[in-house]
Amino acid sequence: MNKFKAQAFLALALALCVVIGAGAQAKPVEIELWITGTASEAGPPPADWAGYRIVRETLGIELKLSLLPTTFTDQDMKINAAAAANRLPDILHVNRDVFIKLAKQGLLAPTDELMKKMPVRTKTHYDDPLRNKLAMYKGRMYGLPDPGKMPMTDGWVIRKDWLAKLGLQPPKTIEDFYQVAKAFTLNDPDGNGKNDTYGFGAFIETSDITNWGLGVRFDPILGAYGVAGVWDVTGAKNFGLNVRKPEFYDAIQFVARLNKDGLIDPDWTTLKKDEFRARWKQGKYGIMRENFAALSTVANYPAFDKNFPDGEWIPIPPPVGPKGKSSEGMLYVDTRIHVVSKRAIDAGKGDAVARLLEWFATDGYALAMFGEKGVNYTLDADGNISTAGLPDPDKSYAKSAMVPILQLRNLASVNSDWELLPRYVPHKTLNGRTIRPLEIWRYFTTQPWTEATAALLIEPPANKADFERFYTENLVKFALGQQALTPASWKAFLAGLDKLGAKELEKSAKAKVEEAGLLK
Amino acid sequence: MGRSRIESSTPPGRTLTRRLSHAWKFRGMYGMAILPVAFFLVIRYLPLWNAQIAFKDFSPLDGVWGSPWNGFSNFAAFFRSPYLVPLIRNTVLYSLAKLALGVPAAILLALGLYETGHRMLRRVVQTLAYLPHFLSWIILHGILLGLFSASEGLFNEINRASGIGTINYMGDPATFPFIVVFSDLWKEMGWGAIVFLAALMGIDPALFESAQVEGASRLQQVRYITLPGILDVIVVVVLLRIGTILDAGFHQLFVLYSVPVLDVGDIIDTWVYRQGILNADYSIATAVGLFKGLIGLSFLLVFNRLAKRIAGSGLY
Amino acid sequence: MGRMRKSPGDAVFQFVVDNYLVLVLLVMVIPIWRVFMLSVTPQVDLADRTFGMLVPPSKWSLAAYRQFLTHPSFLIATWNSVLILAMGVGLGLFLTVPLAYVLSIRNLPGRKLLHTFILIPFLFNPGLIPSYLVVTGLGLYDRLLAVVIPGAINVYNVFVMKNFFEGLPEELKEAARIDGAGELYILFKVVLPLSKPILLTVGLFYGVHYWNDFFNAILYLGDARLQPLPILLRNILQAANFNDYVDINVFSEARMESLKAASVFLASLPMILVYPWIQRYFTKGTLSGGLKG
Repeated sequence: MNKFKAQAFLALALALCVVIGAGAQAKPVEIELWITGTASEAGPPPADWAGYRIVRETLGIELKLSLLPTTFTDQDMKINAAAAANRLPDILHVNRDVFIKLAKQGLLAPTDELMKKMPVRTKTHYDDPLRNKLAMYKGRMYGLPDPGKMPMTDGWVIRKDWLAKLGLQPPKTIEDFYQVAKAFTLNDPDGNGKNDTYGFGAFIETSDITNWGLGVRFDPILGAYGVAGVWDVTGAKNFGLNVRKPEFYDAIQFVARLNKDGLIDPDWTTLKKDEFRARWKQGKYGIMRENFAALSTVANYPAFDKNFPDGEWIPIPPPVGPKGKSSEGMLYVDTRIHVVSKRAIDAGKGDAVARLLEWFATDGYALAMFGEKGVNYTLDADGNISTAGLPDPDKSYAKSAMVPILQLRNLASVNSDWELLPRYVPHKTLNGRTIRPLEIWRYFTTQPWTEATAALLIEPPANKADFERFYTENLVKFALGQQALTPASWKAFLAGLDKLGAKELEKSAKAKVEEAGLLK
Repeated sequence: MGRSRIESSTPPGRTLTRRLSHAWKFRGMYGMAILPVAFFLVIRYLPLWNAQIAFKDFSPLDGVWGSPWNGFSNFAAFFRSPYLVPLIRNTVLYSLAKLALGVPAAILLALGLYETGHRMLRRVVQTLAYLPHFLSWIILHGILLGLFSASEGLFNEINRASGIGTINYMGDPATFPFIVVFSDLWKEMGWGAIVFLAALMGIDPALFESAQVEGASRLQQVRYITLPGILDVIVVVVLLRIGTILDAGFHQLFVLYSVPVLDVGDIIDTWVYRQGILNADYSIATAVGLFKGLIGLSFLLVFNRLAKRIAGSGLY
Repeated sequence: MGRMRKSPGDAVFQFVVDNYLVLVLLVMVIPIWRVFMLSVTPQVDLADRTFGMLVPPSKWSLAAYRQFLTHPSFLIATWNSVLILAMGVGLGLFLTVPLAYVLSIRNLPGRKLLHTFILIPFLFNPGLIPSYLVVTGLGLYDRLLAVVIPGAINVYNVFVMKNFFEGLPEELKEAARIDGAGELYILFKVVLPLSKPILLTVGLFYGVHYWNDFFNAILYLGDARLQPLPILLRNILQAANFNDYVDINVFSEARMESLKAASVFLASLPMILVYPWIQRYFTKGTLSGGLKG
């Protein structure tokens, strides 16, 4: 019982200190942690949070926690500024671009040694070789690739009640999709007598080099032509930019047709995410690609339900293109990279860091996910999370007031069913239908997807702002008809990309993917 | 820095000792300036010293001074951009348009508030006109969408009802610049008026009394007393804005622009954001910041001279 | 006001001025009114997002405001913001007033040099990293002073104030100088009493800046107990665009639209509270009282 000995020793030392009256107390190690909160808008854990106390008493660690700002840009800014001043905290969450940059600057500690000190966590969190590649720099691991978001969360959904009202079948092919979108736009599917609906709803949602152009909301359409995403990383032979394939031209032509015929909300180029979501909640759209949680959880669905108690969104297979292809979108192995600063290791905090992280995968796991047993949750006969029999129901983990004590979920989560079931609970609509968010998600996971994890390794070119603008601007202008889409203009577009260094970019991208051993 | 004639008002100081003994008379003044100057040295000039990272391959472990020089590499991406000319053109045009409309509008509002005889009206307008300044651009985006959106905007409902058809105001390069300039005008007019209003308070009321005695009309009083009374402030405000001519309003454009209007909506700062900030490459922001400062400085020098010649006063 | 004997021209003038103000009022107020209505509309009524929402909702709802006010961090965040504002306005005026005064002395040897010295940092923005190195180098990370100090002298404010000082009748200062008064005495006893409008204006500019500054707080404050109000608002407002995976409804009562709208009025709170009081110093003829008294 090493732990016992250590504790006894500690107690003895403490007593000694008190007796002598010297100031030399056995101070806990201070660990500074910058992390993305579960929902940072809810505020940080209170000072009397059980986690702080337990970590202090059982691990000898004083946790100094900062929740990172909400937006990625703010996060990057804060982290990069701290990096520039060489004052990174001990443990922090970074995205991949920042990870590469910090590793290059020599500010990160290699994590392979560290992982040996946390055997359980390594098994539960770091067992996916593909995901581990995302935390590698020059062949060595410099980060802890924790499981990120659940995969395959966004998919193709349709208004079932509109189909029924117009007597239509769910569209199967891309041409069916066009016809249904047309009927949804022109035939007053909600029967309000106004011409105020659109068959297809979308906005330009792009975030990085994997999804420039029309963005991820158009992926099922592009997927029907076999060109979802910016990159084709499915094999060494066809590795490269999807725009080089003739099918991409056809896909853009299809979107241009949708746009010209007014079947897509004409605001699609100017809407932002929350405005887009407000619109489907107001019954403007019949078909779209949406996140299952944003669509259906108990937090999000009621706004739509109140407006349309008879409205019903159902998932359907993404449209099938002329060559029989279809895809919900790009499939990534997602990760949330936590890194340990070299500064922390140099200061001799390595053991404490490993102790803390291992705790989040073992004794602290349930505490981080759902709070204290008997206070914030109970377990049912099957060992599943429940709120039955809580002494104070207001302290249930599902209450919004309890979110602050669950802010550290991202350090613990492994996306197991045990975690997800109590988080995405079934709920009833005003009409008494039952909505099961996880069923929608499971449906998405059974659909065809385009493997794209390797694309995450691709680093943006030096002229990123120019390249991205040229790429995205031209595709959008083709789709809008602001620029005529002809074989000649398409050729000119490709030539323009080459002039901006597309070939070199493809070459370096291929090298990166090959180096990681992901080129099949 | 250029020399001006004002210097000649100092008494002749041919020898150093005479100059010093003349300056000694102002020791009280210099004493007063010590704290602010020290503040400037630490909080403003030390960062400028650190801005040498614009010419360096900055590495945190080596520090600012220890990092190796790399010449103008950090500027390369900016100056080689095929969009360089349109970026500068958009930036300058937005800056000038906002200056040309915003400053007169603010002055006019301040004058109106100063001249009105209705106490209630003055109070109400004064209390409400600055409020738009506090709307963030994200919120204004929602309001503008409510007015100008192609599918459900108020103006397009009118357009469709009157048979004009739909105009995608926010997404059309022909209409987008007007939205940018006029939304900024609306947002900042009341706030901008405050500084002129304060300046108006510095006018000696005795001037109006004597003007009345001489039978000047209200309009003439505005023309010959009020406006000249705040001319110096107007010059200061305009010159300071000219010094930052390459700041065209990042937050506004960043929120309002969209892909189809990049031709007329992309400005230097939005480009830097996409190139540098999103890429976690901050030396390019520092590099472009220096470039913008250089342009601002040269504009300021030219226009300060012009202002002195035309309006009789400059920044100094 | 004795000068109210109206000639026909003056009556037209008055008519134009008043109507112009009414026009401005309408243009300003209608959208603001809509934002206000949005902030008090209960979520069931929110379906109509167009400009039609000018009429008060059937039932007023303060849910959006309640959501902010009952946030566990609201009190501490407000307290931090008040502290930052007080320190910021205090330090800002403490540094700006003497600097502006010195710059306004027309025959000061080295005046030009001093102007150049002030203008250079105004024109050249060194960017994020260079400033961060200085502020953290002073050991200010995780201290409220870190968000106060970087903005403590605003060059624009300095010039505006200097300009006002320059406009004051020179004879007053000269008279005091001849009486043998020191510069500090002249500044405090002669110049400042005449400068209330500009002191209030500049103080207000500083106050509003500090009340709404989130940028420095993001960079320099990590400790949750130090977060000011703008950070809280920002976290809440941006959550909508960044949290796809909300399985817990943090803000169940009010919709995003209302929260956004309500945040406007929280952001302008110091203005709303202080401005009506300041206005008393913003009427024609303020200076005469000062000159005579």
